[in-house]
Amino acid sequence: MTEPRLSMNRRDFLRGSFGVGAAAALAACGFSGGSSTPSASSNASSAAPMAQAKVDGDLIYYSWADYCDPAVKAGFKSKYGVNIVETNYDGYAGMLAKIQAGNAYDVVLPGARYVELMRKQGLIQKLDKSQFKNADQLFGWGSYFDNPWYDPNSDYSTPFSMWTTGIAYRKDKVTTAQGSWNDLWNEQAKGHIYVLDEDDEAIGMAALKLGLDVNTANPDDLAKIKDVLISQKPYLRAYSTDDINNMASGNAWIHHSWSGDFLNFIKTQATDPTQWVYELPKEGAPLNSDAWVIPTNAPHPGTALLWLDWLMQPDNVAKNIDYLGYPLLTKTGPDLYAKAASAYPSLAVDVSKVVNPTVYKNHDPADQAARNAVWTEVKAA
Amino acid sequence: MSLQVEDALVDLAKEKRRSPTRTRLWNVLLAPPALWMLVFFISSVTIVVLLSFGHVGDTGKPVFGFSLDNYKALSDPVYLKVFIRSAVFAIATTAISLVLGYPVAYTIALHGGKYKNALIAFLVIPFFASYLIRMYAWSTLLADEGLINQLLRDTGLSSGIRFLNTPGAVIAGLVYGSIVFMVLPIYASLERMDTALIEAGKDLYHSPLQTFFAVTVPATRAGMLGGVLLVFLPALGDFVSAQLLGGPSTYMIGNLIQQQFFEGQNQPLGSALTVVLMLALLIFMVFYLRATQRVNREK
Repeated sequence: MTEPRLSMNRRDFLRGSFGVGAAAALAACGFSGGSSTPSASSNASSAAPMAQAKVDGDLIYYSWADYCDPAVKAGFKSKYGVNIVETNYDGYAGMLAKIQAGNAYDVVLPGARYVELMRKQGLIQKLDKSQFKNADQLFGWGSYFDNPWYDPNSDYSTPFSMWTTGIAYRKDKVTTAQGSWNDLWNEQAKGHIYVLDEDDEAIGMAALKLGLDVNTANPDDLAKIKDVLISQKPYLRAYSTDDINNMASGNAWIHHSWSGDFLNFIKTQATDPTQWVYELPKEGAPLNSDAWVIPTNAPHPGTALLWLDWLMQPDNVAKNIDYLGYPLLTKTGPDLYAKAASAYPSLAVDVSKVVNPTVYKNHDPADQAARNAVWTEVKAA
Repeated sequence: MSLQVEDALVDLAKEKRRSPTRTRLWNVLLAPPALWMLVFFISSVTIVVLLSFGHVGDTGKPVFGFSLDNYKALSDPVYLKVFIRSAVFAIATTAISLVLGYPVAYTIALHGGKYKNALIAFLVIPFFASYLIRMYAWSTLLADEGLINQLLRDTGLSSGIRFLNTPGAVIAGLVYGSIVFMVLPIYASLERMDTALIEAGKDLYHSPLQTFFAVTVPATRAGMLGGVLLVFLPALGDFVSAQLLGGPSTYMIGNLIQQQFFEGQNQPLGSALTVVLMLALLIFMVFYLRATQRVNREK
């Protein structure tokens, strides 16, 4: 409103601003061009001294919502006199985008293939395992995770949980389940079926239904996967990773679901747990794991190391398994989980099978782009 | 709102230029907002435009470049479909907001009496809560076993209605999120209208309805145009409503852009989508400016 009073008229103002803005943008572009050489940044991070486990500030925590027992967090806060500043993501790709954009967190929980990706991109720190008092719980007892496929020697990550992806459904609404991925096309539950809003999970599910590799990037395979996912849309209520709430709200009769979320739902939210079934489709089910990492730009890596150590402590492992419904990958974790899930044989997770054909792997950029394009086109259709 | 802005501009244009010292003061005062615009608006728009000609690099990070590939990719019919869907949702939202918002503004402005300001305040208060929170509240209320469906079942009115995850739910969310931006400008123009004109219309043997369309509506056209603009532009780019209340086939252009930046990891394609959306909004903006000029000339 004050513009007409200026000696500089609006057009000059805009022109001047645009010029300087463009210059700033070009400077930014040059900057990001320079920093996009991954070898330089990863060398720098490995040469730097590794962080020491001592309190150096509050814990900036970035993970799935509600993916840790509040009692475990409260214990950490009172033991070390720090606060936990929590932010959540609802998918790994979104998590990676935030970290690539430079957001700083102390601890993050990516899926296995994202650990590999972040290590290659120089986004995470090498960990000094002598800093962990409970390292013997996680490593050195013959665990597969002493040297997992996604992070040689677990140099940059500490393994956390493992799960299968299957189908949860309500027996009172669905009587025609076949124990197959075809159940996500079930006529009885039309309009009440949810598919996980994660590109790997949706594409992997369609691939298994078609008898293809979950990691396929073959153009013919992807075309078939795209068609089969689009054919599913009339049956769907929505794409969502919020499986627990969708089942609790009554909106979902059939949910493409993670094993641990199902157990969690049955134990805490279901009005009638006996109505619900978790099935592992006969065509095969994805089996995946995740691990904690400390980003290169973490403001408080010392507190972050204490947090990773805290999660390995047997008491906290027991609390978290009870709360989350997922097997944790420590010495005691698998047995505790087997007891917790004993009433549901389909929820059994064999942690020795972490190398299997249904683990989501990384792709080269062209193949990744082709898979992303399928997911975009399915959702837009 | 827009009426006030226009009038202020007209008033100011009529005023003589100030002395040089006053002008310098204004320049100094304008520096912080100019810097703000520069850093947070113009440079970010410039980055988006430049990035739209780039591609995704080997490590998955966006790289600047000079190719039209992203725009060629947008020629895929699937994107056109999403654009048309977004436009239909936004037009429906605008039309419903106008039809619902006009009577509200009319009643408050002409029959509100001493409660006018209180009524406007009540209208605005819910907007103190974040749009996201209000959409979450809706999704809880409207769930299949949510409060509203439980009431319907308890009273025997219906065995339950599927509200959520439908195009209707997305449009309803958009209307709820933006209707106040329709009501306020219309209210402002009705407030300023000379009610003697309505009396005159009746004196000339117009029925109340004829008077409304021949007198009131033309007199508040600027307010309606402002409201249409304020509702349509954000609705076209919205993604929250479709994300929280929509189903598998209610994707809007805002969802697509969000997906490219946060899920698809294809920021250059997301930038190209953003540029196309901005151009579409710009065309609408030009149309609005010309329409308001016409309204001003007719005055």
